[in-house]
Amino acid sequence: MKKIKLTVEGMHCASCAGNIERSLKKIPGLKDARVSMMTRKAIVEADDNVSEEEMKKAVARAGYKVSKIEN
Amino acid sequence: MKKHTKGKMNHNHEQTPEEQEINMWKKKLVWAWVITIPLIIVMYILPLFDVMIEEEIMRFIILFLSFPVVFITGFSTLKSGFKGFVSFYFNMDSLIGLGTVIAWLTGVLVFFMEIENYAGIAGMIMAIFITGKFIESKARGRAGAEIRKLLELGAKQARIEKNGKEIMVDISEIKVGDVIIIKPGEKIPTDGIIVKGESSVDESMISGESLPVDKLKGSSVIGATINQDGVLYVKATKVGGDTFLSHIIQLVEEAQGTKVPIQKLADKITSIFVPAILFITIVTFAVWMYFSGDLSLALAAAIAVLVISCPCALGLATPIALTVGSGIGAKKGILIRKGEAIQTMKDVKVVVFDKTGTITKGKPEVTDVSTGKNSEKEILLLAGSLESLSEHPLAKAIVKYCEEKNHNKFMKVTKFSALRGRGVEGYVGKDRIVIGNRRLMNEEKISLKDFEKDISKYESEGKTTMIVSKNKKVIGVLAVADAIKEDSRKALAMLHKAGYKTVMITGDNEPTAKAIAQQVGIKMVIANVLPEDKSNEVKKLQNKYGFVAFAGDGINDAPALKQANVGIAMGTGTDIAIEAGDIVLTTGSLVAVTQSINLSKATFKKIKQNLFWAFAYNTIAIPLAIMGLLHPVIAEIAMAASSITVVTNANLLRRKRIG
Repeated sequence: MKKIKLTVEGMHCASCAGNIERSLKKIPGLKDARVSMMTRKAIVEADDNVSEEEMKKAVARAGYKVSKIEN
Repeated sequence: MKKHTKGKMNHNHEQTPEEQEINMWKKKLVWAWVITIPLIIVMYILPLFDVMIEEEIMRFIILFLSFPVVFITGFSTLKSGFKGFVSFYFNMDSLIGLGTVIAWLTGVLVFFMEIENYAGIAGMIMAIFITGKFIESKARGRAGAEIRKLLELGAKQARIEKNGKEIMVDISEIKVGDVIIIKPGEKIPTDGIIVKGESSVDESMISGESLPVDKLKGSSVIGATINQDGVLYVKATKVGGDTFLSHIIQLVEEAQGTKVPIQKLADKITSIFVPAILFITIVTFAVWMYFSGDLSLALAAAIAVLVISCPCALGLATPIALTVGSGIGAKKGILIRKGEAIQTMKDVKVVVFDKTGTITKGKPEVTDVSTGKNSEKEILLLAGSLESLSEHPLAKAIVKYCEEKNHNKFMKVTKFSALRGRGVEGYVGKDRIVIGNRRLMNEEKISLKDFEKDISKYESEGKTTMIVSKNKKVIGVLAVADAIKEDSRKALAMLHKAGYKTVMITGDNEPTAKAIAQQVGIKMVIANVLPEDKSNEVKKLQNKYGFVAFAGDGINDAPALKQANVGIAMGTGTDIAIEAGDIVLTTGSLVAVTQSINLSKATFKKIKQNLFWAFAYNTIAIPLAIMGLLHPVIAEIAMAASSITVVTNANLLRRKRIG
């Protein structure tokens, strides 16, 4: 299990946070994703084998961009 | 001193993402209206003065003026909206984008067929939308101001001595053990211990405590606090992600993403909102076409539905109030860790306080020694020898007292053991020494008769007694008192006034506990509780009275904090037990407990108000739009107003006094 913090750019409305959560949660092995529009951060809990690249892709799929990844 | 708090070290101010967003909308807003105002003049004002422009020319003017508003200032909105149609991750831009583009296209269609020209309206809708977004982003920025301040609190640079010269280095270069020099008025860059110098330090940004704290050599200091008047040499003990500030930031950021249960329905609606509205729009259009056969009317209703519907009010209702609430809290040293606690708090009837370290200072001192006919030296030496092996705060108080009295040549102890919640035992030479409370003496069947009078007296004064016995015979009694925190009385009076039942829980015996409880005004006391039984006692209270909040120090009381419906973990200096509490207080102040209760209730009330407005708005406005009763421009104004209302209402939380 690992916990990762993503800073997301381009969130501008409430449905954005929901879209990102929905997209992230489609990644197999991803346990939890909590996105806050207020802090522009997504806090993700996932199995160790889930790559950061996959998370970036999931955020991009929903139409947003990851600008920073922290552990 | 105020002027220093801005931080000298951060001259070149970079724009925060919030400021960038506000500025982006501002720029668009200006351009949108520069074009939209002439558009309005041409469309509505000139006809008032009987200035008639030929229909053909008018069409071109409207199309020409509204184009840049919709497609240039609205470019990013359209792009993000139409991306939604491709990826099926719809957002509110999808609605606005579709609404304005369809409206604008009628301006083209009008050249080929009989249709009402909505192109001008498209421009107006986009301009109002941008205006709404601008106001909302400003209000949102204000809502997050405190939290952002907290995130930006850390120092960027630190001053160190190198080759006899003082130089500034980037904070990331500081390692544990480095000595940092902090001049008056500067920010202390990281957590550490003072190795040279003395000063007073303003810790208000961390603890909410407004008075500066005096610091001497050996005192620990917290990064991001402000050195007031002396030069300090501080050895870094924690850097980077390990610092107190980093922990708090992490906690606050995580809390922002937690959900308040009441939000669930709103979240569910938000997640299907846009596709649902798209469906409703199609149905609205079809039904209007079928019954009226008028394409223009059908389009007007469809556009109104598209632009009036915005998930923002619903989706923002809770997070925005939570942000404002936790921001207000953070400023006062109250950290809301779980959004759920805010909702639970409103049902709390009983507040349970741990005694030691919560109501009292948690730094016990020996106040009396009763020796009977025995020598004080022997009592203290034996007590000190055993207690020096224990980590208990009471033990430390005794050892400290022995050292002060110069009875510090402690003897060798064998077969030592600490008896949790009762005392200690061990052998000094061949003598079996047992030191502890009444309960332990009863278990050991040791008679207290010669000392009963003194013991009762100490207990009635609220002191903890440590009975020293040698070979099953009491040789002396030490009384230890733990002073009550200055503001405990006031905090409890506030709670009583608000109608809460308060309970004190402690491992002390009944008379001692009652004496303390009486001093602070608590009527119900649960005494003689072993640490591991505290959570059971909480459970019993829950069965009897309903929801219970527990305030305690997070380290010993972790199970009780978990068992309680709301666990309030009290901080003691730099050690805060983050994991244990739903709400974490960085200060040890009991007033902060009361404040955190008031803040939670006020925040939850705002959440409820916001959700009410958001639901009311959507359930009234959308049907009106479907019925074709709202002009698309009015619809757009209403939409912008709805999300601004929610954010502004949350900001009003600041006016609330939380004590």
